[in-house]
Order: sequence, then C-alpha cells, then structure tokens
Amino acid sequence: MSRLEAKKPSLFITDPLTKDGVSQSLSLLNRILKSCYGPAGQLKQLHNGMGGYVCTTSQSSAILSRLPVSHPVLGVLMASVQNHISRFSDCGLFTAILCCSLIENFKSLNIASCTVIKISKHLLSLCMDYLKSETCGCRVAVDFSSVETLLCLVRSVLRSKPACMLNKTEVDHLATLILKAFLFTVPCHAESNAVLGKCVIVPMKSRRVMDSAVLPGLLIEVPEIQLAKPLTVKRTCSNMIKIALFCLSMSGDSFSPKEGTITVHHGISLEMSELNQLLNVGKQLVNDEVGLVVCQKVIHPSLKQYLKENGVIAVDRAGLSLMEPLSRMTGSKPIASIHDLSPGCYGSLKDVCVESFASKNFVHLIPNDTVVCSLVLCNRNETTWDELKRACETAEHVLQLTLKEPLALLGGGCTETHLASYIRYKSCSLSTSSFEDIGCSQTQYQLVADGFCRSLESVARSLNHDEGEILTDMVYGHCWFVPPGFPPASSWSDLVSKCGCGVNGNGENLKWRLLQGQFGSVVTQDCPKEPLVKAADFLTLDCYAAKCSGLQVALETANLISDLLYVIKDQN
Amino acid sequence: MVLNRSCLLPMAFRDVNARRHIGLQQLSSLALAGRTLLGPVKSCKFIVDEITNESTLICSAVRLIESLDLTSAAGQLLNETIQAQTKEFKTGMSTLLFLVGAWSNAIVECLQQNVPVSAIVSVMSEGLNSCCERVQCLQISIHDVNKELCSSSVRPYASKSKTCQTGCDSLPNSQLFLYFQKDISVPEVIPMNSCSHQDDDCNFNKHLVSPLPGFDSVASLVKPAGDKSTSVISGSGVATSSCNKQKLTHSRYFSTLGKSRFSSQQGNFQGYHLGPSADSCECRGLGHLAMALSHGNETSMKLLQSIVTYQQETAKHSGSSQLNVADIVTCCLVGLPESYSCASPGFVTLVSPEQVTVIKYFEDKLLRILLIDGDLTEQYRHLGFNRPCNVRTIVEHPSLQEGDLWISSMLDNLIKFEVNLVLVKGNVCKNLMESCIANSILLVSSVTWNVLCAFGEVTGAQPVTYLSQLNASCVGSGAQVELWKACDGRAMDLGELVPVRIKAQGLPLLTALLTTTVASKMQFIEDQFWTLMYRLHHALIDKKVFIGGGAVELLCLSHIQMLVEQPLQLPNQNAAKEFHNPWQAASARGYNSVVLQALASGWKQYLLVVMCNTTKAASELEACTSVDNYLRKAADCGSPSAYILNEFRRGCLLRDGAGPFTDHREGLKVYDNVTAKTEAWRRALDLVLLVLQTDAEIVTSPRKNQLLNSHVSSEFMFL
Repeated sequence: MSRLEAKKPSLFITDPLTKDGVSQSLSLLNRILKSCYGPAGQLKQLHNGMGGYVCTTSQSSAILSRLPVSHPVLGVLMASVQNHISRFSDCGLFTAILCCSLIENFKSLNIASCTVIKISKHLLSLCMDYLKSETCGCRVAVDFSSVETLLCLVRSVLRSKPACMLNKTEVDHLATLILKAFLFTVPCHAESNAVLGKCVIVPMKSRRVMDSAVLPGLLIEVPEIQLAKPLTVKRTCSNMIKIALFCLSMSGDSFSPKEGTITVHHGISLEMSELNQLLNVGKQLVNDEVGLVVCQKVIHPSLKQYLKENGVIAVDRAGLSLMEPLSRMTGSKPIASIHDLSPGCYGSLKDVCVESFASKNFVHLIPNDTVVCSLVLCNRNETTWDELKRACETAEHVLQLTLKEPLALLGGGCTETHLASYIRYKSCSLSTSSFEDIGCSQTQYQLVADGFCRSLESVARSLNHDEGEILTDMVYGHCWFVPPGFPPASSWSDLVSKCGCGVNGNGENLKWRLLQGQFGSVVTQDCPKEPLVKAADFLTLDCYAAKCSGLQVALETANLISDLLYVIKDQN
Repeated sequence: MVLNRSCLLPMAFRDVNARRHIGLQQLSSLALAGRTLLGPVKSCKFIVDEITNESTLICSAVRLIESLDLTSAAGQLLNETIQAQTKEFKTGMSTLLFLVGAWSNAIVECLQQNVPVSAIVSVMSEGLNSCCERVQCLQISIHDVNKELCSSSVRPYASKSKTCQTGCDSLPNSQLFLYFQKDISVPEVIPMNSCSHQDDDCNFNKHLVSPLPGFDSVASLVKPAGDKSTSVISGSGVATSSCNKQKLTHSRYFSTLGKSRFSSQQGNFQGYHLGPSADSCECRGLGHLAMALSHGNETSMKLLQSIVTYQQETAKHSGSSQLNVADIVTCCLVGLPESYSCASPGFVTLVSPEQVTVIKYFEDKLLRILLIDGDLTEQYRHLGFNRPCNVRTIVEHPSLQEGDLWISSMLDNLIKFEVNLVLVKGNVCKNLMESCIANSILLVSSVTWNVLCAFGEVTGAQPVTYLSQLNASCVGSGAQVELWKACDGRAMDLGELVPVRIKAQGLPLLTALLTTTVASKMQFIEDQFWTLMYRLHHALIDKKVFIGGGAVELLCLSHIQMLVEQPLQLPNQNAAKEFHNPWQAASARGYNSVVLQALASGWKQYLLVVMCNTTKAASELEACTSVDNYLRKAADCGSPSAYILNEFRRGCLLRDGAGPFTDHREGLKVYDNVTAKTEAWRRALDLVLLVLQTDAEIVTSPRKNQLLNSHVSSEFMFL
C-alpha cells in the first residue's frame, strides 16, 4: 500500500549573507582553514566517530572532500575551491582562506555589492597584469637547466604539509626523488605535441621515508612468490618481450548472466566451457610468442598453469590504475574481450625482473622508452603515508604546471604582502578618469582596495600560529615573522633574520611595519621594489599557475557569493 | 550532515587555561597500561572478558593494544603506530608504547609552561635526530660482537668473579637476595659444558643477580576492552611497584623455573644436535649473539640457538644467508611441559588421530606429494571468481548424490597420479578426508604459503588450485612422514591432535615446537619466540647492534644534558641558511632547555621503569638516584660515551637485563637492535607530535542528532 504525502513548500531565504547562521558557519570554516595553513599549520583529525580509520591532515583536498556542509553558500565556496584543487592541486587553502576573508571584508564595507564587484574586478585585473609583467617583483623565472629552483618548489610543497612528519633530511631526499620521477616522465624527444608520461606511486606503508625509491618502468605486486627465480622470459627474435594486456576478468565466471536466467541440463558445465575458451586464448597467446600476460583482474588458475607450463609469465590483479600507464609504456592495446585477440594488440618490453621491497614482491616491467616510472613511497604509518602521498601528487602536479609556464612566485607570505603593497600604491595613483570608467567614487575605490589588501594580508597572517608578530617592510613589501614573546618596543631589525620566502636578509633598514588586522589604518605606500638577488639556495616558492588561478577563483567566488540575493530550498 | 567537533582544547595558544590536550592525555593513559611490559622482566596481565568470562595472558604491547578499547582518534593512531612497528620489526613495541606515554606527559607539562607548539615540535624532533646521531658511537658491528663474545667464551675465568661481585654490590634490595636464594634449589642448576675450574661461588652469585624467566609471570589484572581505558590503568598501576617483590613468594604457582631450566638442557639433546661447537667460532658467534639479544628469555633463546646452528650447518652446503626467517615455522603443542620445546628439522604440524594409521603405514617410504593453494572442498572457487547466480540446472535422473560424485572423482584423480600426501593451504572437506584415509592418502590442511613453497622447491611439486588441474608435472616426490617423537623417544598423543613430521631431502624448513601445559601462555610463548627470532634477523640485516642494558638511553640523557648546557652546539650549519626557523626562535626564548628536558624525561622514565621492573631498584626514587649518579660520573669523565662503553665492558652498567644465564659465562653482555630501537623512538615521537599538532577533530558521521543529544554536545560545532 502506498501513501501519498503532500509536498512541502520550498523555503525562500532572502539575503542569505546577512543571516547569522551563515556568517557564523563561514567564519568557523575560515577559522578551520586558517589554522591548517602553512608549515606550522595545525592538523585536523577526520574520522567517523565510531572508531576506524583516522585521517590526520592539514591539506585542503582531504578536508574539503570529507566536509559536506549544509548551507548552500558554503557549498558554492567549497565547490569552486575543490574545482580549483582538481585543476591545480596546489594553493587550495590559499584560495579558500582568501575567498572567506574577501567575503567578510567586503560585507563589512557597506557599499552596494555591484559597485564592490566592479571595483574588485578592476583590482584583480591590476594584480593579474602585474603578475604577468616582466617588472613583477614577486615572481622568479624557473631555470630548467639547473635543479635548484625546481627542488625549492618541491621542498616548499612538502614542508607545508606538517602531517607528513618529515625531518629536513627526509624532505631533501624525497624532493630529489620526486624531481627525478618527474624528469623520467618528460619525453626525451621533444615533439610539437609532446605528452608527459606518468609517475605511479607504489605504497609501502610502515617503512622509513628514506627507503623510498624511484624506478623506471612499472611495478606490479605479486601477492605471493608465484614466480621462479631467476625469471626466464620468452623473447621475440628482436630480443624484445611481447606483452598482452587484458582488462577483463579471466577468472572464468563471465558466463553468469547479469539479467534473466540460464537453464542448463545436468552434466553440462558452463564453468568448463568457459575455461575451455580461456585455454584457447592461452593457446593463441603461446602461438603468438607472447612472453608476458598482464591481466587487470583475476586469471583462472588453470589458464595460469597452462601459460606457466608454456614459458609465459602471467601476472594478474594489476588493478585499474596501472592499465593506462601500462598500455602507454608498452604500446599495447588493452584487450577487453577474449574474442578479439589480434596481433596488433600486443606491446613490447625491454626487460622483466623480480624486485622485492621489504616483504613485498614485485614484477618490474622495464620499457624501452622511460616516460613511465614508479615511485616506491614509504612512510612510517598509514595516516602519515596517506598525507605524504597527497603531498607528492601535488608536488608532481606543480612541476608539470611549472614546465608549462616556467615561473614561480615567492612563498612564505611574501607574494601576498607584496601584492597588497603594490595594490595600495597603485590605488593611490589611479587617475580620476579610471574611477569614472569603473563608475565609483575614489573613496569607494580606496575602501574596496583596502579590504582587498587586508584580505591578502590576512592570508599571510594565517601562516603564523603562535603569538608572534608579523611584519611587512616598506621597501620590498615582503613578509617577516617575529618569534613570540618579544616586547613590541624593541627594534624590529634585531628580531627578524629573513623574510618569509628567504630572499631578503635584514641587512639594510627596510622600514618594517606591523601587518595589521581588521582595523588597520590606510597606509600610503611606494611601489614595492624587486629584490636585488633572487637566487638563494633555500627559497620558499609557490606554483605560479596555481596561485594565479587561486587568486582569480577566490575573488570571483567571493563576488558571486556577495551577489547572492535569494536561496530557494526544496524541502521535500 | 557533518559535524565539526572543535578541538577539545580550543587553539592551545589562545587560552592558557585550556592547556590540557585531550589527545595527549588519551595517549598517556593508554600507554600507562603497558608500563609493566617494559624491559627484560615483564609482568604479564590477564585480560578478562567480562561478558564471556574468558581470560588470556598477555605479555606484549601488541597484545595489550589489541585488547584495549581504542575508539578515540588518538587510540586509533596509537594502534596504527604499534601495528606498523610490529609489521616492520616485531620488536620494540613496548618501548614505543612506553615512550608515547612518557613524551605525552612531558609535552603536556611543556604546554602548561606556555611553550608554543611549533617550538616543541621543532626542538623535540631536532633533539631526537641529534641523539640518534650521538648514540651511533655505541654501535658495534656484528663481526666485532662475534669476536668479542667468542673470545670471552674461550677466555679463562679469571676476571669473571670480580664482575659478579660488583654485580651483587649494586643489587640494592637484600630482601630480594634472600628470596632468590630460597627459590633456587641448587640441584636444579646444572651447568652445561661446565668449565671445571669454574668457581662455585661465582656461579651461585650470578644466579642471584639475574632475573629469572619464570619469575616474570605475576599477573596484574587488566579490565577488558569495551571498558574505559582509565579502568585499565587503575588495575595495572597498583601492581607495578609492589608486585615485583611479592611475586617471588608466589612465583611457584606461575613459575616454570625449575622445569624450564631442566628442560632447556634436555631440549638441546632432543633438538637437532649440532656438530662440535668449540672449534667453529663463527657459527657459535651467532648463538652468542642470539643470547645477547634474548634479554633473559632463555627458552626461546635455546630454541633459536639450535635453529641458527642448524641453518648454518646447511648453509655451508648451499651458501645461503645466515638466518632465513622464511624457513622457520612454529608448532604449538598445548599439554606438554615446557621442557619438551625444541627445534626439529622438517615441517611439524598437527593432524587428526584417524590419520595416524596412514602415517604409520607411510613410515620409511618416499611419498609423492601434491600442493594445493586453496581449499579442498567442492564449493571452493579461486579468489576473484564470482559464483553464478542465475544459472539453473535441470536434473532428469536424480541418482547419485552430487557430493559423492565430486569426492569419488577427486579421489580418482589422486589415485591416478599416485599421490600419497597432499598439503592444503586452506580447509579440507571432511568426507573427502575420510575417503582419503581409507585409500591411504594423507591430507594436511592449513599449511602456510612458505611451507608449500619450500616443499615445492625440493620435491618439484607445482602448487595447484583445483585437483582437476592435476597432471604429472604437478606432483613432487621424495617426501617422508613420521609421527613426531618427543625427546624421550615416545610419540606424543595429545588426545585430539597428533603431531606429525613431514620432511624431504634438502628441505630447509625448521619447526620450532613450542610446548606448555598452560593453554593461556601459548600465545605469548609464541610471540616471544618470534620476537627473538626477528631481533636476530634485524641485527644481521643492520650488521650492527647497540650495546644494551640502558647504555643507549643513558648516553641520550647525557647528550641532552650537554645540549641544554651548551645550546649553541645544536643548530647545525644548515640551520643558519634556513629562514623563519622556529628552532632559532625557540632557542632565543629559552624554550630550548625546557623542551629538551621533556625529551630527556622520556628516556629517563624508561630507565627508571626498567630498573624497577627488573627489581634493580626498589623504588623509582632509588633508580633515579642511581641514574643521576651515572650521569654525573659520565659528565665528570669528560667523554660520556667512552665512560658508558667502558662500564658496559666491565659489565656493571645499571646492572639490568643481564639475563639468567647461569650456565654461560658471557651472559652479562646484552645487546639491542639498532634500527628497531631508533625507529621505535622516532615513531613514538612522531605520533605524539602528530597528536600535539592536532587542534580539532572533524567527525564525518551522519548522525547529527545523536551527537546533539550526547553529553559532549557542547563541544561540537556544526557547519
């Protein structure tokens, strides 16, 4: 018996941002994200409250994906940040924090939201033009002929994830490995449409980080020692190994219908007939001189036995994630049906051998051309390994983005404070005609610009999690950290040694000022200068593409949310 | 709907009064339960399940953690860390557990003194690094250890009695002395291979000094999982200080002292007896090393020694490595006295009594062997095979039963290929088993993979999954079966199951037969055996060992003392290049010494508890005085490492962990694993720092209402 229920009317909320609950949730989210930011960020334990796996992390990708929220305003924010993360991996927290701060700062201005949007778009274009110009004081060109800048980029990513629990030596070791793995994936022969290869991360939990390694080619774990040592493999006349790649299950159960019923007479075994078909495939493989069969899923033990007796190595349960790189590396087409086996499907390999790491055994497939490599990643326990894996993937993505656009931005808060200084300087020196173009008064412009700069600076401020002060200098506009517990009366130059990114020392008098919070007075500012030397060994660098996108996404999302007038909620 | 449970300590640096970190407190209370498991003399615990009233005896951190209620996030992380250490080393878990507790406490104290989190994190991890580098000078290569241990066993006994004397002097509790004397009845002490010129007094003295393995069994009661963790602590806390003395009077109920002493010697005869030991020094060396790593666990040590010697004997022919863990299996025999423990070449396992006739029939015959890597039942299909669901079979003439048909066809297969012996990885169908017995085929179930592989290699058998795969090339030959006979030549009948020994020419497998009459002890006897096995294994992998008996921890303490006094030494040259270095910030503020002392307190607590557990000190205060004494002497001496090394050589370092080796003159030397130990430190500190840096829990549970109604609802914030 079914029962009809009357539909509930939809809920109609006007001006969602002015509601208390929303701004509280928003500021709570901002607090959570700010507390995660940077190398000294606080960690979050994500779990279901009923025992089981605990994810300890400070990375936006892990937090945002597990933090479903109830309010649509937060939903919009998180969706656009997650979209940014999926495209760039890096700068997720930067984007989210900046976005939250912008919403809060713009809301407190008391200026019509359409005016704020117009002004902020102009400010964004000022920033983007500056970041793209040669005179930009906060970006560095990445020189691919030396590894130093690249290592700095990778190290900065690793260092900003404290839940990986790495010490300095371990960071250096891993940074080298990640860079090495990345260089493997760059094709040797550059063509016009060169495609990067792939680095596959092989999990090795509960080992020391220093045991991590990079190998060219792919590793497939074989659960038990099924392989004779030393491995003998059939080769073709050109001394290559022919490989067949199957992406279907060969376990012999595919006769089972998904829908409907099959009726068979007693004495007829569908299992046997299926197995016979599989064995026919095996026969053809042997005839075609295939030396290695890799199957994504399970191979029937009888087929395995047949192949083994005929000198063919069979490796099953390779997993979905390996199929694409396997096919890429060997040039083979994954076979999806046992009925269309053609010689054109086969690929080739240079060598196959057995490797063992700790208690695990692997078949190591070595290709001719190494654009695919394996990073055997170790960390001491599960939660730190998971965090490290995310960090490594981010670092690899950052390197790929940097290859496309060989630039990097100064990290450690310096880009944010430098941009803020630049905008402060620029907003004072705009001509009156440009205000008319935008359609606002100079005061309005100045107010919005100040809100924008304070938002940028609040991102830099959230790098600090102690009670210490944060300064910016009036010459370069960089960001400086003062250790906690000093009286504000003492001279700043005694307390700071290096700026956040590591480019500037405190050699000259840089006219520091406190990076104020919400209620700072408007500061007049000269155009910030470019530091004289930009080459240091230990720079903190951020990914250029990711940060530029983050800036845009944050501002556009903030504008979108400030412009929200109604929320209509279906309550059924 | 998702809830954000804002931290139980809201942003530690904002609110001074809230400087009590719940996560760290949870860690410390969980770790407290493991205090008595530290050191060579452990007090066992009974884990009692209040619902079923079942109890088990546990004696290791892993088993303790397995039986505790770990639903809190910090508890889960602790479990994960302990499991990781187990997986990797199988030793050092108690150390890890203890240090987690000690460092959690120390850090909570730092927080109360307003030390910023970032300073604690950086100073502690830098400090640990520095200590790990410092203690490298206490490493000794395996080669040197062998030389030293071997030479000391050849050296005449001149200097020995003096060592013993000093040993006795440092034993603080004269009461204990008496108990020891009472308990050890002299006739049970039969020196093995005894040197004729060995002084009787000396022998006796050593007895008194050494903690005896049987004494370690005093159980403190631990409440079961499902109870709050605090109740565990209250249960075990009481026992810690007092029971070590009491246990001596009660020990005869738990102790297996007399028997095991007797047994281990018997064991040597019944186990694989090895060639002349005196002339092959290198091979005896590993045995010595095993002893030095055993930390007083005599039964396991004896077993391991005979295994090592056997493997070295065979290695001479094959040229393989020194200790092959994959070739060792254990077989647990409950109901036999511990004196029957021994190592036996081949694979010993338990079979049902019905099969005894088949075994007797097979004796002295060479058998054809088959290996099955799955179950041997009609329903079994290989992993990854999904049972068809929509297939119907029409039976026109219901006659023979399906099952019988299957059994007879399987049996036909076995008979066709003249298989005598089948080793099955999984279970075996009962009816098939009966049919096989009737046809004189021996089926052995639950055989592990490494055993199958070993038999495959020497007999030429290829493991198959189904009997239908059988062909001539799968069947191996040359296996032999016999009933396992105990030392007195008598085949054991344990009522339900019968031990059987399966061997083959050239089979590298060795079975350690672990016996006890107390069923609840079985688990920890097995655990202890494997722990010792892996200690030796890792020592050989590391190719070096630490000098033991607290030397390493002592040097750490002395090193930290030096760091505190000369803070400029610690930041390395690289640090100068670093920017925004929290280390510099910390040292500028003088957090340095507070945090370093917190780090040191972990090791100090460790030493104190070990000394108390081993009854080297009557109270923690006394132990503390003694440790401070050593530290002062080490500092006065100028080179602490040289002083500690020297004290170790003289055999009077803290006088702990010497082990009850009354029948071995070199028993005073104790060594520890290098990597396992430093990794245990690192993992413990990593865990504590991970929890320290956590300021909030985010509960991704869909049950918002339930949380809202709970008593902690005020701690939650909702997004």
